[in-house]
Parts: sequence; structure tokens; C-alpha cells
Amino acid sequence: MTHVLGIELRRSAAIGSALILAVVGALALYFAEGIAFTDGWMQLAMSQRLFLALLWPLALAAGAWQGRREHRWKVTELFATTPRPVAQRMRPVILVMAAAVTVAYLVMGLAGGAWLIGTADYLPAPFFAVTAVGVLALVAAVWLGLAIGRLLPWLITAPALAIAGLGLLLTIPGATRPRGWLALVFSPIYEMNMPDAFATVPGRVSAAQAIWLLALAVTGVLLYAAATWRLRVAALLPVLLGAALAITVMPHGKRVVTGAIDPVAKELVCADQEPAVCLSRVHAGLMPEFLPSARQALTVLAALPGGPTRVHEDTTTYVPTRYAPWDPGVALVRLDTGQDTHLADPELALGDAVAGAFTGPPGCEDAPPLGDQLAAAYWLIGTEPPADGNGAERDRAVDVWHRLKALPGSEAQAKVVALRAAALKCTPGTALFGDAS
Amino acid sequence: MRWLTLYLRSRRAPIAIPAAVTGMVLMWSLWAGFSDTRTVAVQTVVTTVLLLVVVLTATLGSPDDALEATAAISWPVRRLLHLLAGFLLVVVLLLLTTGTNAEFGPAGLIVRDAAGLLGLTALGAAVAGPARAWFLPLGWTLAAILFPRAEPLAGRILTWQSQAPDSVAAAVVAGVLAAAGLVAYVAGGPARSAPAEMAQA
Repeated sequence: MTHVLGIELRRSAAIGSALILAVVGALALYFAEGIAFTDGWMQLAMSQRLFLALLWPLALAAGAWQGRREHRWKVTELFATTPRPVAQRMRPVILVMAAAVTVAYLVMGLAGGAWLIGTADYLPAPFFAVTAVGVLALVAAVWLGLAIGRLLPWLITAPALAIAGLGLLLTIPGATRPRGWLALVFSPIYEMNMPDAFATVPGRVSAAQAIWLLALAVTGVLLYAAATWRLRVAALLPVLLGAALAITVMPHGKRVVTGAIDPVAKELVCADQEPAVCLSRVHAGLMPEFLPSARQALTVLAALPGGPTRVHEDTTTYVPTRYAPWDPGVALVRLDTGQDTHLADPELALGDAVAGAFTGPPGCEDAPPLGDQLAAAYWLIGTEPPADGNGAERDRAVDVWHRLKALPGSEAQAKVVALRAAALKCTPGTALFGDAS
Repeated sequence: MRWLTLYLRSRRAPIAIPAAVTGMVLMWSLWAGFSDTRTVAVQTVVTTVLLLVVVLTATLGSPDDALEATAAISWPVRRLLHLLAGFLLVVVLLLLTTGTNAEFGPAGLIVRDAAGLLGLTALGAAVAGPARAWFLPLGWTLAAILFPRAEPLAGRILTWQSQAPDSVAAAVVAGVLAAAGLVAYVAGGPARSAPAEMAQA
């Protein structure tokens, strides 16, 4: 059998297909929309699934191109005269094409993983489920392609099938609206875009998608190996059963995936021998680069009477709204990863951590303006706020900081302490200078 | 006239032209049936151009290229006319929808993409043979439809198919591809393949 598979590997389109899929997938991960998986492994798995939008149609085309082979070389009748059963004759190509797309998808994952290997530690179980569903999607596509390529052995079948596959993926969300969960069953790319740092895919979603794709794959194989029309019609049975089963397994809710949060990824992991500095588990790999800024922030904050004595990552998520645990003794700081998977703005980390002392409690809509928070923070630090951040609030910070600096030391200190007190109580209209705008 | 009939039959035009029309009607009716707006989305327009070009790719080869090469006929002129006719077919089919419930446009984009993609597929036919010529236009265009980038310049060049019709970079890329495909295919003809491979494609 190994010998046969080796021959089939060389004779079929498997190696070419695997190369094309792996290269296209890896390029898409890095260049299609910027690098969206800098937070960790789960984000990589979900990004890979998103780029199935490109790979899934191509796998369909690869299968259809391969499925046309016997027709292309005009050996259909010749082979039909051999006494071996059709299924036995088809087995090598079925296995080889499935292996090709599987390897391609995994190589694409490795190409993305190379970018993450230095910073991401947290590897949750759903990562494997999401990847497995991605592999299954490609296998189903290539087997379905084989079947359609054999049934309709024309030159335009493969490219037309790819276009139809893309069209299908793009129309599923619109066609199933407002029942988003239905799109989640049939489209492996749905709700996989721009995963949040704490994103996850619930196990039941992956299970339902796996059921559907498995049924589709089985139908593809049966269609491909079927010799009579009666068997071909019977081959449609698994896909119908699979659809029904997958629909029952899928949770019937709204935003099942975009609203899912991984509580373990959110858990705080504190620095060794330094329980005052904690990051979420998903960002724990950034601790070495964050720790110096956090330590410095704690030193600065010690000068603020009743100031925070701990620095924690702000793990608030907004879909759905879940605030980070709040404590007046904790300065919360949001952490973003840049395109290089490291801290997005390491030079701003100190100021942002100190400014965490001036944010209000969770859900406070009357917190001091960000510009005032930063101005107070940098007054404590003793340097001018960098104005190169994101626009108006950073500019305001520079302006307010200069006014604060112009005041006598004790007066400025009183203003900063008052700002903190007002922030903790979430007093409306709080600002360092009443007229500042 | 008899020569033309035989030529068209040898290029599988009796299948390809109805297939192109069917593809166009299908895309038109999908948009007209399921969308509320008359103006067809750019992605759908580009997809339709791609579909028609891919269908026409099948007409770029003959059952036996080696045999044809021996004939005392001026093939380059005929190949040039073949490509121009294919280009006109794509453009006219899409522009026929003007004024209907699903308007494929703008014309500048259709002309640019049809010329560029047809050039690319003709180039592929000249280099790798008509059976494999669709690989690059398909893969490239699917990527450009899904992930168009208007910035920076490299993005406009790499996703030229889905840029706005006034994009100079996209027009230049399409023009270069069209010219390269035209020259390569008209001068050299399709890459020779085993007669069996093309016979019943």
C-alpha cells in the first residue's frame, strides 16, 4: 500500500496542490490584512480558519482538477474493464489528496507559529479543535472536488467550482441572516475574523462544524467512488444526516463565537517573586518586557498617597461586557501586541500603567479625560508626556502637563490627589483644570 | 464561412460560448434575485469577469497543435482575432446588463479586468498550455477579491483586479499583462500538449 501511495503521490496533483495551498495560506497570514494573530495561538488558529475563504475554493479546484484525470488521459473505459472494485482503485488518490491538503494547512500553521514562538505560551485545547476543523474543511473540499471533477470532467469544472465555492462562502452569512448560528454550521470561516485576545471557539461549535464537514467529506468520497447512479444518490444521505445533526448540536444563539471568552486566557498570572505585577495568561509571555515598566510605575505610584500598589492587566472585554476585577489598590493597564507580537508601544507602558491610578471603577462614564489621566501620570513620573501617541488626547495631555508643571509643587500634588479621589468615586465633570478642554 | 465553422468547432466554441452566456445569466439572476440594489458589488463584477475569462481559456487550444502548425495558414492573425473576439465577448456580455435590475459596472473596471485577465490567461496558455492556464488568474483574482489593498502602491499592484477604475497602478498592471499575453500567445500560440490531454477537455 505504501508503494502505491508513493506512486500516486508522484503521479497526482497532490504535491503541487499542497505547495500552492501552503504558500498562499502563509502569504495570506502575513500580508492579507496585516498580522491579526499577534496575541497567541488561538488567534493564529482562528486566522487560519478565516483564510480558508481563499484555501477552501482552491482545494475544491485542486480536487476537481485531479478528479478529471482519467477522463483527461482517456482511460476511463480502459480502467472500467479491470476487475478491481472502483473503491479500491480510488483509495490511493483519496488518501494522497487528503494528506496533501492536511500537510498544507499544518505547514501554514507552522509558518504563522514561527512568528509567535518567542512570545506566546498559552496553548488552550480549543486551538487543536479549531485547527482540526480547518483541516477537515480542506479535506471535505478536496474530496468533494474529486467527486465533482469525475462527474463533470470538463476543463472549466475546476475553476468554475472554485468560483462557486467562494461565492457560497461569501453568501452563506447573508442567506442565513438573522440566524447567525446557521452560518456557523455551514461556513468554516464565519466569525473567525479579528479575534480578540481572549477569544475562543466553544467546543460545541467546533463539534457541530466537525460533524457537518465530516458528513460532507464522506459524501464526497462516496460520490467519487460510486459507479452507478443509484449509489450516487445514496451518497447524498450522509450529507443530509450530517446537516441535521450539526444543526441540532450547534448552540442556537447570537454571536456564539464572537461573544465567547476564554476565562482561562483571562486569568491573571503574576510575575515570579513579584505578586504586585500580573498579566493575563494569554499575555504572560510579555512579562519580561513589561516588568521593568511596571516596577518603575509602582515606584512612581508610591509617591501618591493611598495610590495603587499593584499593576494588573486590564482584561475587560466588550462583547459581551465583562469588566476586569476592580480594586482601588490596583492600577489597570491595557496591553496591546504590535505586529511583531511584542508590546505595541513599550515606551508608553510606564505612563499607561501610572495613569491606571486615575481611571474610574468599571463602567464609570464620568472618568477623568484620558488626557488628564496621562498628564497627572507624567507629572508623577516627572517627564513630559510623549505627544506621538494616538491624537487629540495625547496632545491634551502635553498641554495639561505644562499647566500642571507651572504650578507650585504642593498645589499640583493636591490637584493630582484630588483627581485620583474623584476618579475613584466616579465624580462627573472631573478634570485637573475646570476650564481645560 | 466553412473555415470559420471548423475553426470555432476545433476551439470548442460551441460549448464555451453558451457556457459563458449561462455563467453571465446565472450571475445576473443571482444578483437580481437576491439583492436590493441595482448596482452590482465590485467583488461580483470581478468574479463574473474571472468566470467568463476562465471559460474562454478552454478555447485557446486545439485538439492537435502540432498538426495545425504544419498548415500554410497565417495563425498569428487568427490568434489575434481570437483574443480580441474573446475580449469583446466578455465586455459586451457584462455591459449588456446596463439598465437592468443588476447593472454590472463600471465599464472602465470591466474593460481593465477583462483585458488584464485575458492577457494573463493567454500568457499562461502560451507558457503552460490552455489546460493549466487558469491556475494563476484564478488564484490571484480570488485573493484580490477577498483582500483588496488600496495602500500602499504594492497593494494596488498586487490586487489590481479589485481597485477603483481610476487607479493608474491597476490600469498599468492590466495593460502590461494584456500586452504580454497578447504578444506571447499571438506570436507563439498555445504551449504544445499531448493531443490526448486537450482532445476532450
